[in-house]
Amino acid sequence: MSLEIQNLHVRIEEREILKGLDLTVRKGETHALMGPNGSGKSTLANTIMGNPNYEVTEGKILFNGEDLTEADPDERARAGLFMAFQYPATIPGVSVANFLRMAVNARREDPIKVKEFGAMLGENMELLRIDRAFTSRYLNEGFSGGEKKRAEILQLAMLKPEIAVLDETDSGLDVDALRIVSEGVNALRGPEMGSLIITHYTRILEYVKPEFVHIMLDGRIVREGGRELADKLDEQGYDFVREEVAAANAG
Amino acid sequence: MPASTPSWLEERRKAALDAFESEPVPTWRRSGFWTTTLRNLDLDALEPRRYEPVTSTDELPSVVREALDGEPGALIVQRGASTIHLEIDPALAEQGVVVMPLEQAVVEHEDLVREWYMHRLSETEGKFPAATAAFWTGGVFIHVPRNAQIEQPIQTVYVIDEGDTAQYAHTLAIVEENADCSIREYCLGSDIEGQALHAGGFELYARPGARVKLAHFHDWGRGEVYDISTKRVEIARDAFVSWVPVHLGGRLIKHTLDIVTAEQGADMRHTGLYFTERDEHLDLFTTDKKEAPNTAGDTVWKGALTGDSRASYEGLIHIVPNAQETHTYLQTHQMLLSQRAKGDAIPSLIVETDNVSASHGGTVGELDEDQIFYMMSRGISRIEAVQTLVEGYFEEVVQRLDDPGLEALVRRRIGEKLLAAEDQVKEFVGHRAGAAQEA
Repeated sequence: MSLEIQNLHVRIEEREILKGLDLTVRKGETHALMGPNGSGKSTLANTIMGNPNYEVTEGKILFNGEDLTEADPDERARAGLFMAFQYPATIPGVSVANFLRMAVNARREDPIKVKEFGAMLGENMELLRIDRAFTSRYLNEGFSGGEKKRAEILQLAMLKPEIAVLDETDSGLDVDALRIVSEGVNALRGPEMGSLIITHYTRILEYVKPEFVHIMLDGRIVREGGRELADKLDEQGYDFVREEVAAANAG
Repeated sequence: MPASTPSWLEERRKAALDAFESEPVPTWRRSGFWTTTLRNLDLDALEPRRYEPVTSTDELPSVVREALDGEPGALIVQRGASTIHLEIDPALAEQGVVVMPLEQAVVEHEDLVREWYMHRLSETEGKFPAATAAFWTGGVFIHVPRNAQIEQPIQTVYVIDEGDTAQYAHTLAIVEENADCSIREYCLGSDIEGQALHAGGFELYARPGARVKLAHFHDWGRGEVYDISTKRVEIARDAFVSWVPVHLGGRLIKHTLDIVTAEQGADMRHTGLYFTERDEHLDLFTTDKKEAPNTAGDTVWKGALTGDSRASYEGLIHIVPNAQETHTYLQTHQMLLSQRAKGDAIPSLIVETDNVSASHGGTVGELDEDQIFYMMSRGISRIEAVQTLVEGYFEEVVQRLDDPGLEALVRRRIGEKLLAAEDQVKEFVGHRAGAAQEA
């Protein structure tokens, strides 16, 4: 059970953003993907989920061995992929609860029973310390940054994907919100879910401990390692990576 | 006409007939690029049609039975040229509420009718207003006396269920001081063969301190119904009217909808919704007219277009001299759901005084591909995402109906129309997704 990305090249508006990226995330694993602004992190997340604005020119996205490179986003989601958005869209007129029910039902043969759905929702809201009144608000309309991210993690909890991509979930969060969101992610971690945490900063990694760390630069993964790589990045910033890569290229 | 038609009314009808005969069939042009023309309407082939009254609501045309909901406080139904049904809850009658054909009211409540009849409408504002004033039959008269508190809605219905029909309709409603009531007017058509015309006049007077919830539900069906109507609402001192016109079908609709805050402290909320499909043509002009100081207003119109339809919404805020300290705003949004549909949403402003706050905004847009992608990323199919987004887009205005039965009807009809348009919406959205990829 895995998400396998092979030699991925992606273009947006004639500009090549990803330039041959390889990455494998297995169920049960937690990966951190780090990189400076403009390195292509969000492009990767969007391409994994099938955003039509991103064009794959080469390479493959395999999920459990199946080629999903050309699949529509809803097909990917139903196969077990999930993405927590950095900037989630606002859905006016659709309450959080209704949206969640639609999403849950989209991956079931028969619609979920009202009682079962209510119990599941209640449980997950408790986990993320979300107020009851929240679910009757229109999804993301007038939400604060923290509320939007919590709504993303609530969806993650409700949909129980096999592989979740968290695109800069930590950005724009204060310490309290970051802790709550991280606790939520930790609670959902386990042998049934693999995750790819995309982040610019090491902050979230103090709460959610990854087993694998990847560093991205200019559309490729340039360094891979364990926790220690994140610590090094925290101390030295991205410059050491840039220098090492430049030195290697020069040599 | 009954023999007892009072002479003042006969004179007004005569003046209206003169105006009708001297006016050519109009073509409405705006800004040089929007035209509403009646060249495809064969007026001479149409005639007023008479029907016998029904003895119970079960005998009402099915299009009427399907639209009505719940126990009305009063129900009056005009089919073609004839009033075919009238019922009023005894509790309302006891409070002195009057609901009856206008034809009957000019005799039985002559003083009231004479005082208010066409107070805000005029037989000289065009060929069709003149035709309505000259030829109306049946009609509706509503009078809610001072201090009456009416919860069950007063429902009026104009229905056309046969081709080659001309229906001239006139509703006069007066809600007296400090009364509180809800009025729903339905304009309904079955999917008729041939053509039909509904030429209507509607006037509501909310007297000082009155509170009125008014809804107009227009759905002429798939038949070739032309609806050319003028509807005006006048709000007196410290009164409040929430008016929600809904347009869900008709071959060609030309509506002038005006809401006048006429005295100090008058307040209104005006909320409109339309959904056009196939080759429908909708032309709406609304005016939020502020005639007195210290009045307020809040107007929101939302529409969506599919097929080859055309829809133009123009909304004017007009603040006359001396109407200072007025606060009003107008928003209009339009969503295109087909490549072939064409729309316009134009807010405008005439302010003839100072010390007011008036703002307006208008958008014409398409569905947001980011929203669709977001929903699809949760496993929701493209078409379901589109339907949900359109329904969500309308939800704000549907809720302003503040009437669960009518809200359910409007939601159901929008859902049906979206389903009918599924293929073209899919094609349109798919085309746009493709375009985005090419870009």
